[in-house]
Amino acid sequence: MQYVTLTIDGAHIRAPKGTSVLDAAIEYGICIPHLCHVPYLSDIGACRLCIVEHVLDGRSKITTSCTLNVQEGMVIRSNTEKIKKLRRNIAELLVAQAPNSRAIQDIAVRCGVKEVRYPFRNSDCVLCGRCVRVCRSLWQANAIDFVGRGKDRHVDFPFGVRPDFCKRCGACVQLCPMSITPCDGPMKTGEEYLCGKCEAQLAVTEDMPDSCVWCALGQGFQCGRYT
Amino acid sequence: MTRLSSIRELDDLRERLGNERNAIEKTLILCGGTGCRASRSQDVIDAVKEELAVKGLDKDVHVRITGCHGFCEQGPIVVFEPGNILYCHVSPEDAPEIISKTVSDGEAVERLLYTDPVSGKKILKASDVPFYAAQDRHLLSWNSRLDPCVIEDYIAIGGYGALAKTLAGIAPKKVIREIEASGLRGRGGGGFPTGRKWAECREAPGDEKYVICNADEGDPGAYMDRCVLEGNPHLVFEGMMIGAWAVGARQGYIYVRNEYPLAVKHARLAVKQAREIGLLGENILGSPLSFDIAIARGGGAFVCGESTALMASLEGKVGEPRAKDVHTVLDGLWHKPTVLNNVETWANVPDIILNGSTRFASKGSKHSKGTKILALTGHVKNTGLVEVAMGTPIRSVVFDIGGGPSDGKPIKAVQTGGPSGGCLPVDKFDLPVDFDALAEAGSMVGSGGMVVMNEDTCMVDVAKYFLTFLQDESCGKCAPCRLGIDRMLEIITDITEGRGTPKQIELLEDLAYTVSETALCGLGKTAPNPVLSTLRYFPEEYEAHINRKQCPAGVCQALITYEIDPEKCTGCGKCKKACPHEAIKGEKKQVHAINAQQCQKCGICRSECKFEAIYVH
Repeated sequence: MQYVTLTIDGAHIRAPKGTSVLDAAIEYGICIPHLCHVPYLSDIGACRLCIVEHVLDGRSKITTSCTLNVQEGMVIRSNTEKIKKLRRNIAELLVAQAPNSRAIQDIAVRCGVKEVRYPFRNSDCVLCGRCVRVCRSLWQANAIDFVGRGKDRHVDFPFGVRPDFCKRCGACVQLCPMSITPCDGPMKTGEEYLCGKCEAQLAVTEDMPDSCVWCALGQGFQCGRYT
Repeated sequence: MTRLSSIRELDDLRERLGNERNAIEKTLILCGGTGCRASRSQDVIDAVKEELAVKGLDKDVHVRITGCHGFCEQGPIVVFEPGNILYCHVSPEDAPEIISKTVSDGEAVERLLYTDPVSGKKILKASDVPFYAAQDRHLLSWNSRLDPCVIEDYIAIGGYGALAKTLAGIAPKKVIREIEASGLRGRGGGGFPTGRKWAECREAPGDEKYVICNADEGDPGAYMDRCVLEGNPHLVFEGMMIGAWAVGARQGYIYVRNEYPLAVKHARLAVKQAREIGLLGENILGSPLSFDIAIARGGGAFVCGESTALMASLEGKVGEPRAKDVHTVLDGLWHKPTVLNNVETWANVPDIILNGSTRFASKGSKHSKGTKILALTGHVKNTGLVEVAMGTPIRSVVFDIGGGPSDGKPIKAVQTGGPSGGCLPVDKFDLPVDFDALAEAGSMVGSGGMVVMNEDTCMVDVAKYFLTFLQDESCGKCAPCRLGIDRMLEIITDITEGRGTPKQIELLEDLAYTVSETALCGLGKTAPNPVLSTLRYFPEEYEAHINRKQCPAGVCQALITYEIDPEKCTGCGKCKKACPHEAIKGEKKQVHAINAQQCQKCGICRSECKFEAIYVH
């Protein structure tokens, strides 16, 4: 296997050719927050949480680390002030959309969201596409897919009817970030809040912000470390 | 039609066609573009042909049905050569008079001539009309010289000359060097140097390569690509063939939206004719170049104008963009190296090859060369397609070509570059039409839309309009674009409906920054531009909406009230009759009044009132 050497946040990392920057970082214990990435599925870069700065010829370009493949001599910064701010804003958008997910609540706190500046929507799905991709690539069933465009986009069966080739395997449910309810249970519409329960645990990492703390988020949500 | 098997045969054909066409002196040029057809130009064409047949003149007069001339507002347009006499708003009933007077005697029909709205004088020649005279019609001038459905027309005036020159002995690398030297940049919006794109694709590994023409033009009010493809498809083909020769492609695609039926029809017909004559297919003109073009129709999604989404759509998948960490010149259509250029970019190629890069580069500004077609619309006297040299100040486009404000109200801003562009205020009108200068000012050249707005336009409402458009057209794949645009629209709606708070401006800026930095594709990355540019240049309007709960332009319904000026009202009762909500009360010949509770602010009364007695505040 061919290996390349790259730098992520100053650390020299050796990774096999063809792996993504996100995988290489997680392998080395640099936890770049992510939501739509699942280790054994192809990446689409939908949630944009795993954004990093790719420094090339003195100019930095922001891109998602899950869709960026490692290259020799690559310089990546995953935890600059700019990235942290952008990531926080994206996490805020996601949690405002689906406050009833423990996974998304955790991600929001992990990304430093202290308050949500938008009205909560409680719409349950953030279209990360984990379910769609597991159904498509792991089981080749294609029983569910995205339907509609823009704000009408949602996940559904073909024409809204469960087809025969859906084997009710449940892989979609297992991978869904909504399948983990918040610690205090489901929130009522109009009474959503940012729970921030796991903040205390994350505070430990202030000194070394880009290292993996084996957080509860990863445990409950199939982080690369736990699978 | 005989197949051409060598460059010599093409030259012979051109000479023969030239002689045939020179034998007929008189030509009636009738516009058959989409704009003129909408104002019944097909009826005019039929009437003219019939009248010529009746008079027995059909052998002596050549009738040429052309593509769009650009002056759509004045359509249907008829031009008579020799003399370059321009007739506007021609109706089928005018045909006998045009033929008896102009065609037979060479006299002009006074009432059909163009009236200059500035001086009020009649103008005889098309070339003297200020709208045309102030332009630099480099691509658009082709349109009036040929019938897009007749390949011989294009060949007779020098068409496929650049292809012949290329195949006769310009090596692919030299073609690329020539394009690079010309400084041609992508006309679709990005402004990426075309030569560099071609060079990267040529050097990309792989034998199978593709060239694609992007004719999925979706900006509201912009139609320059339609005009070129439907008025002169062979020019685009010729550019693509030269591109295919340069990068080593055998197959080309034209991705055109299905909402452009005439462009689809003309492009398909042109492909058929080019195949018959041997300009598409194996060993074109006896050279090693084998190339074919397929026409693919798009379903009308705005996002399919983005390169990766367009390619996904061509492959038969859902038109959604994907991450472009590896460029499409390396990993494009069917994961093969692909060059994707806009219609206008391809159309610029033949001239660069034929007349040299120096001539092309002599026009334009330092980093933006050549000419650009703009779709000028909005509150100006002359609207239509205009072509100017890059670097021309916006002021000269709006005032010299556009003729200034249409109804006397001062112009407030111009919106350039479609939904992804921005609004520029009057004091920025000295900025040139230049990729870098406009990008620096927070707008963009984009595909070339230019909407002029007068003081009756509310800039917050403009931002809201474009956000609504983008929210509809966002594919929804990535979170920042889908959720970000949605939230921005939510905030702007709050502001226009009087629920805005000063804190929201800060949030709006923060959100716009996030979306522009993190979105997956170009649509999302440029989506906040309308918000950012209006915030930057018109902060006082946002302030008025938020702090004083007023809409200075009188547009935002929730913030305005209609009232009747008692001094101007004559009590005619017209408004009372027109009001669908029965909100206006008053006796005949007495001053009327509007009941604010019942008023739904539809504005019908205001447009009905002849005395301008109804005002908004």
